[in-house]
Amino acid sequence: MSRSTTRFDTKKVNSELVTLTYGALVAQIIKDLENTDDVSKQLERLGYNMGIRLIEDFLAKTGTGRCLDLKDTADKIQTAFRMYLGVQPNVANWSAAGDEFSFVLDSNPLTDLVELPEDLKGLKYCNIICGVIRGALEMVQLDVQSWIVQDQLKRGSKH
Amino acid sequence: MVIYGIYIVSKSGGLIFNYDNNVPKIETEKKFSYPLDIKLQVENKKIVVEFGQRDGIHVGHVLYAVNGVPVTGTQMDDGQNALEYLEHKENYPATLKFGRPKMTTNEKIFLASMFYPLFAIASQLSPEPKCSGIEVLEADTFRLNCFQTLTEMPIRCELFDSNLKSILEQIEKSGIANI
Amino acid sequence: MTVYNIYIFDKAGTLLYYEEWNRLKQSGMTRGRGGKTNSFVSKISPTDTKEGFLCYKTSKYTLHFLETPSGLKFVINTDVHSQGVRELLQQIYNQVYVEYVVKNPLCNLSQPIQSELFKSNLDSYIKQSPIFLSKAL
Repeated sequence: MSRSTTRFDTKKVNSELVTLTYGALVAQIIKDLENTDDVSKQLERLGYNMGIRLIEDFLAKTGTGRCLDLKDTADKIQTAFRMYLGVQPNVANWSAAGDEFSFVLDSNPLTDLVELPEDLKGLKYCNIICGVIRGALEMVQLDVQSWIVQDQLKRGSKH
Repeated sequence: MVIYGIYIVSKSGGLIFNYDNNVPKIETEKKFSYPLDIKLQVENKKIVVEFGQRDGIHVGHVLYAVNGVPVTGTQMDDGQNALEYLEHKENYPATLKFGRPKMTTNEKIFLASMFYPLFAIASQLSPEPKCSGIEVLEADTFRLNCFQTLTEMPIRCELFDSNLKSILEQIEKSGIANI
Repeated sequence: MTVYNIYIFDKAGTLLYYEEWNRLKQSGMTRGRGGKTNSFVSKISPTDTKEGFLCYKTSKYTLHFLETPSGLKFVINTDVHSQGVRELLQQIYNQVYVEYVVKNPLCNLSQPIQSELFKSNLDSYIKQSPIFLSKAL
């Protein structure tokens, strides 16, 4: 899983394979853990572990330096979304102090083929992305919280 | 060539002479409204910009003044704590002056003693025998040239160009007092 | 021109990897000093630094230093005449470390690098570089 999404040249990997692999992974975790909150947490942790590696790849490929303000950070995460997921999120909802914002994803390849059943409504299906952002930024000494504001095939948005 | 400064360090690592020749002054003053979008932190008893660099105010810069009132350490000259002052909404808009921290003599002495082990380790780490200590140290913003005299009194100096070694030799001949 | 040795340290200064070529005298460091040098450099610098410490030169060798934003430190010692070593360090990071350590899920990032794949790739990468030209040959 981590291998297939970390490839820069996304053309090499069929995006449906990624979607299906991720779906299978989530389904398996749901089977293993009863509680949907635990599943969400597990996905976040999984993303975190990806993030701490993905950041090195990102730094190496973009040759970018250290972030010096959060706008810069937002910009770079946006680039990362484009590199790794092939989507361009919009940055919105900046707080007045400039320390909080949202990414709005118009399309999300992870949820392309997904519909959540009634009994799993509480599941944060894409929580892995929050984890990736947290893990990656932690490695560059930025402590952030990242959560899903709106979700479920309507729109995913996070900081 | 710009020469920023000259340092002379004794055999035991103490700073015995220092002269700042051409240190650029970097200061920025700007009006801020509430809430403050620059993250400040107390570091070495100074208020330092930690995150949120913009408009010439860089990470690592120190808060020098609030509304024209100079800040020493974390205290404003009128006795208030600057960080607490900036937490209150009613104190905005506020004009803050930031700048790159100037080195105090104490810090220079500290840095000189820091250079000494670096110099010695460089010589020990050599892959070949009979190696000198650091002769040139390069960073993205300056170059430091170091010349060690035969009396093992290292004299060092930072500058952009590498030609200072010969100048330093002249200084050596004519005596330190002439600098 | 010649390459003497390479060190890789993690952000805490732990030695992750060491390899040497063409060495005449045995000596080495086990803890990273780059961080210390870098803090010295940023304090003494007359203006704001971006990358900070780049290299230092002695009579016998040059030490080149590269720190990534994630705190990894790459240190390489070459003879005093070598050019473009910083680019080489950047490429080692991009094309060897990231490929064979970071993307190997079974490599622990905070432990010394044991991977044979990394070792052999790094070795051939260094040996291919124009900077590497053994004096012994």
